[in-house]
Amino acid sequence: MGHAADHAHSGHSPFFQHHFIDMRQQASSAKLGMWLFLAQEVLFFSVLFMAYFIFRTLYPETWLVAHYKLDAALGGLNTVVLLFSSLTMALAVRAAQVNAKKQQVIMLAVTIACAFVFLVVKYFEYMSKIGKGLLPGNLYSYSGDIPGAPELFFTVYFCMTGLHGIHVVAGIIVLFWLLIRAGKGHFNSGYYSPMENVGLYWHLVDLVWIFLFPLLYLVK
Amino acid sequence: MADAHHDELGAHISPLQTYFAVFGALLVFTVLTYAVSLADLGPFAFPIAMVVAFCKAFLVATFFMHLKYDERFNVVVFVSSLFFVSVFAFFTIIDVTGRGALRPEEGYYVFQEELDAIAAMEAAAAAEEATAAGEEEAEADDDDH
Repeated sequence: MGHAADHAHSGHSPFFQHHFIDMRQQASSAKLGMWLFLAQEVLFFSVLFMAYFIFRTLYPETWLVAHYKLDAALGGLNTVVLLFSSLTMALAVRAAQVNAKKQQVIMLAVTIACAFVFLVVKYFEYMSKIGKGLLPGNLYSYSGDIPGAPELFFTVYFCMTGLHGIHVVAGIIVLFWLLIRAGKGHFNSGYYSPMENVGLYWHLVDLVWIFLFPLLYLVK
Repeated sequence: MADAHHDELGAHISPLQTYFAVFGALLVFTVLTYAVSLADLGPFAFPIAMVVAFCKAFLVATFFMHLKYDERFNVVVFVSSLFFVSVFAFFTIIDVTGRGALRPEEGYYVFQEELDAIAAMEAAAAAEEATAAGEEEAEADDDDH
């Protein structure tokens, strides 16, 4: 960890990195780094949102009919689940700010559980689509009648929710890492950057879904 | 440095009520999103749905992501990404919506007005040829006797 025996802990956190002036600047730099990454993520997802708008403009009748094949109730459930997980994530960060170790662990565990619920619901949704042949592009084999170019709608659906799902999986992995560190008592009022920044990432995952849900499931 | 509302780093600690109130508002907006989709709002359905989504996004960014109490530069970074997405969206949308309908039989995009104008021109040209041919025949008949 770089803390030699000759350097007595002069009151700072064992996680202080000495190329920073103090813990405050370290936390600020780490947070800026995460916000820059989130800005990139916004641009990253914007490409798929543009594809959605282009195809929706070219095939409006397809969008109006095809989206009914998606289960809006399950989509709504996933929305509530992710919103709740954002709440528990924010509470986990707050628990670190007020030195409440047990609460950090509980809140992180609930956040991870919500993430898993989200993935399970998505699994059932995907299985239902695959079973009916509502698949992207060349794989489309649905026997029902959807006007225009339904394979395009499902390309957009699977690409957008798939990319979002990959972000959820990555979030779960990082959340588990956080859970272990929080359990070891690494985070407190003077050092909680990992919590805070993973929290920012998780809120962005939620933000993307906030837009995905009405655009894909509630087309009007 | 730490007190009831700030941690050891001087950062703001939001009260529990704030987080619960924001979550409650987000649930209300989610119900509103669903209600908007069921109501018959005509051409306003999509913009209103997007406004509701932006309200939810604003709440998440301001309170859950703590931007309200954060350094302004982080806000600048985030908002600038939205700005560039808007530039991207603006040019894409005016391109795609500014085209005519896809006419597979023509093999390219063309406006309906152009098709009508072309058809009218061709019809006029055909009518002119018919009258000219008729006149020539009449002349030829005249010349014959």
